[in-house]
Amino acid sequence: MATGGEPVLEVSGLVKHYPLTRGVLFKKQIGAVRAVDGVDFTLGRGETLGIVGESGCGKSTVAKLLCSLERPTAGSIRFKGEDITRLSGRALKAVRRNIQMVFQDPYTSLNPRMTVGDIVGEPFEIHPEAAPKGDRRRRVRELLDVVGLDPDFVNRYPHQFSGGQRQRIGIARGLALRPEVIVADEPVSALDVSVQAQVINLLDRLQAEFELSYVFIAHDLSIVRHISDRVGVMYLGRIVEIGRDAEIYEHPTHPYTQALLSAVPVPDPEAREDRERIILSGDVPSPADIPSGCRFRTRCWKARERCAVEVPALAVPAVFLERPAGPAAHDSACHFAQEGRVVPPESSRANGDGPG
Amino acid sequence: MLLEVRDLHVEFRTRDGIARAVNGVSYAVGEGETLAVLGESGSGKSVTAQAVMGILDTPPGRITGGEILFGGRDLLRMKEEERRELRGARMAMIFQDALSALNPVLSVGDQLGELFVVHRGMSRKAARARAVELMDRVRIPGAAQRVRDYPHQFSGGMRQRIMIAMALALEPALVIADEPTTALDVTVQAQVMDLLAELQREYRMGLVLITHDLGVVADVADRIAVMYAGRIVESAPVHDIYKAPAHPYTRGLLDSIPRLDLKGQELYAIKGLPPNLTRVPPGCSFHPRCPMARGVCRAEVPPLYEVSEVRGSACHFWRECLDGDGR
Amino acid sequence: MPEQPYEPEGAIAGTGMGGAMDLGASEATTLERGPGAPSGGGPAGRPRSLGSDAWRDLRRNPVFLLSALVILFLVFISLWPSAIAPGSPLSCDLAKSQDGPGPGAPFGYDGQGCNVYTRTVYGARTSVTVGVLATLGVGVLGSVLGGLAGYFGGWPDALLSRTTDIFFAIPVVLGGLVLLSVVTSNTVWPVIGFMVLLGWPQISRIARGSVIGARQHDYVQAARALGASDSRILLRHIAPNAVAPVIVVATIALGTYISLEATLSYLGVGLKPPSVSWGIDISAASPYVRNAPHALLWPSGALAVTVLAFIMLGDAVRDALDPKLR
Repeated sequence: MATGGEPVLEVSGLVKHYPLTRGVLFKKQIGAVRAVDGVDFTLGRGETLGIVGESGCGKSTVAKLLCSLERPTAGSIRFKGEDITRLSGRALKAVRRNIQMVFQDPYTSLNPRMTVGDIVGEPFEIHPEAAPKGDRRRRVRELLDVVGLDPDFVNRYPHQFSGGQRQRIGIARGLALRPEVIVADEPVSALDVSVQAQVINLLDRLQAEFELSYVFIAHDLSIVRHISDRVGVMYLGRIVEIGRDAEIYEHPTHPYTQALLSAVPVPDPEAREDRERIILSGDVPSPADIPSGCRFRTRCWKARERCAVEVPALAVPAVFLERPAGPAAHDSACHFAQEGRVVPPESSRANGDGPG
Repeated sequence: MLLEVRDLHVEFRTRDGIARAVNGVSYAVGEGETLAVLGESGSGKSVTAQAVMGILDTPPGRITGGEILFGGRDLLRMKEEERRELRGARMAMIFQDALSALNPVLSVGDQLGELFVVHRGMSRKAARARAVELMDRVRIPGAAQRVRDYPHQFSGGMRQRIMIAMALALEPALVIADEPTTALDVTVQAQVMDLLAELQREYRMGLVLITHDLGVVADVADRIAVMYAGRIVESAPVHDIYKAPAHPYTRGLLDSIPRLDLKGQELYAIKGLPPNLTRVPPGCSFHPRCPMARGVCRAEVPPLYEVSEVRGSACHFWRECLDGDGR
Repeated sequence: MPEQPYEPEGAIAGTGMGGAMDLGASEATTLERGPGAPSGGGPAGRPRSLGSDAWRDLRRNPVFLLSALVILFLVFISLWPSAIAPGSPLSCDLAKSQDGPGPGAPFGYDGQGCNVYTRTVYGARTSVTVGVLATLGVGVLGSVLGGLAGYFGGWPDALLSRTTDIFFAIPVVLGGLVLLSVVTSNTVWPVIGFMVLLGWPQISRIARGSVIGARQHDYVQAARALGASDSRILLRHIAPNAVAPVIVVATIALGTYISLEATLSYLGVGLKPPSVSWGIDISAASPYVRNAPHALLWPSGALAVTVLAFIMLGDAVRDALDPKLR
């Protein structure tokens, strides 16, 4: 698999099932919500992997597993070769320094009763070895400066800031321990349109400055494309297609990716006539009751008998292996993978908007 | 014109003082037309809609000026009873959060049927039959069986369809949809928007679509009104605005969204934050964030200049903006 | 409410940072250098915390000052009643039964001919001790048990919930009659013990719900992702955000405990004469309310003022701990 540099994170066979139980005293398991059901990917140093999918596809659970906020049911997450899923105590705490998270909701991710200085400084209190005590105040002010906030804001409380500024505070907290990996779970979806771009640019700049690797989780395909080097598309707990951004966006081979891309509203009224949209029927099935075989088959217009029986593997589909490897030859979990262009190629509308 | 809002002013009493949430908004929607009202949170887009529907919370809100003409009659001068009769029957609203807009303890069939019982004086049985018909119309599979189900038993997309069915039940002349697809997934969003657009064409109703999503607007709107800090800053047919915005705020919004087909190095970002409505900057309220701002912008509130017969821009320098200067 | 973004006060589009900030051209965020907090001691003043901010706030809150003054006074007379009250509360003269105010007895005399002023002052000790200690006991036991159950969940939580259900089923007065009637000691301790025993489930239930609510916030997840220990999360993140409803209920409960002591004393299972308490006096005076209302009025008034003072104090503390109200 083509990645940028040596892998920082290697995820394989990651599974998280939440048991469904009945009964108060004697709990009987009656099923399981298969939130994450076999996910593999690698993340290279300095790389951004985007993960897109609709609500309930398990992308947020992946984020929690990566940050050790949940323990996986099965599978492994290797950080620089070391499996972190079985760690606990000191070893886990040490590893946490390297993988930090940026949360979706800037309103609940900051403790309302702590000052900004305390919030950004807390990582140093938890990991005293990261900064000597006398140095912490300076480090906090530096961090605020780095994320574009006035360092004199240290004594203010979160509610005195707007959503975009709060998200910057959350990012500063995430950066404090100089992590190598940042997992961002929908970091801009709660922000106003005009502020989203500010935060995206900030994340871009920080990546270069601190050599960060990002796992960027979002439902907004346009934003994911903007920031990602590689993109994985998740559906019902699994990655159904993964590849470099151009491979996914311009040469998607999985029908779900194609439908997802075609459904994105494009801010260009000219395009509305000549765009072909694939409107999927129905809703995403419940992760407690996943269809047999290919999990997308219940909404897929290509589904045949084979799809109900055989689980398609996430690999380069055989049809693309014969020819010299083109952009369509990337991992796609579909028995009938076929290249379908949904988004017009870049060149044709490079200057399409705005005058001259 | 079906609906004409003229110079509407709405204020809110807050702890920090008086917030001018809507500050002289005028727009019009014709029969069969879709007007998109685009704005960020705090722009006053939803407050305007609530004033039109007559569901504004007063207090803390207060309508301090303007007219809302519906079929030529000023809604603000009507008796509350008259307005109540109009609501639901002649004008209806679709909310963002269908789960909280539907009553959790009544089956969807009862809630849909209620409309026919109250407004049309139908029998329970006939109303139930109409409810099934409507659910069929918004393409809820197995409508006849699902009519007895409760709101929580439906998925988000299905619930939004039920909301649409409720809004369209009495075939209103005007529908206001406040962020109808924001809470939905992309693939479901497309289904619901398509359905809404199709029903709108069929019933030839006027649709006011309130949204912050430039993509959704481009897909369905005829006209677009961009709001900022309680004012309309640009109003134009949808094609014109995307081709060449005549207000720097609109241009900033368009430039700042990443596009599937354009992968740039850095996104354009509008600097700063939307203003606090209790302390809107003097002159043009956008000037502290505007790359083109000059002295006059701080001093004079720009009127909605006529850019063309069908287009207006509240920017002193709309010509330059149209030409793409000062980017 | 209209959809309203918050913008820090002042909104002076200040950019003093200038070159210090390595921001891209389009990333030049408007930094609002507001005037800062009223007495911030300069924008770069000492780092502050919730506790110091709350204290600063309380010091200028008249409600807090007034209630604190009343409570300090009560504590003072509980410790040294003889400082302001003449004579002994037990020296009564039946000849003066139900007399009005006289020299050395500004509140008059009760049915037994005891000095109401002296008895009210001496009664404060019992009532305040019972109220404060019972509330403290209930508050600590209830919050710790409820907080831990809410935070860790699982079978201890289930066990605690069922236990509280059982306690809620015990009628307070009947329970008091049964349990306290076997006690012979005529001190406040059995009464306080009984109140803690029956009172903690109420607080524990509130603390549990409030902790469960706070636990679900992302900032708790964020702290865990940083590697924070359970005790740190509980003390730094959950407790300050979950304590408000506990304070409210506890201060209201304080009043109930003082009245409950009165009720139990009235029923003869609480304190018995020769102990002095407002409860005993209120119950003793109630039969003669027509002839000698003053004997009822003063201890009841003292009780009401005390309860009010604690409720106001609780309110002020709760508000001071909420930065959003500042």
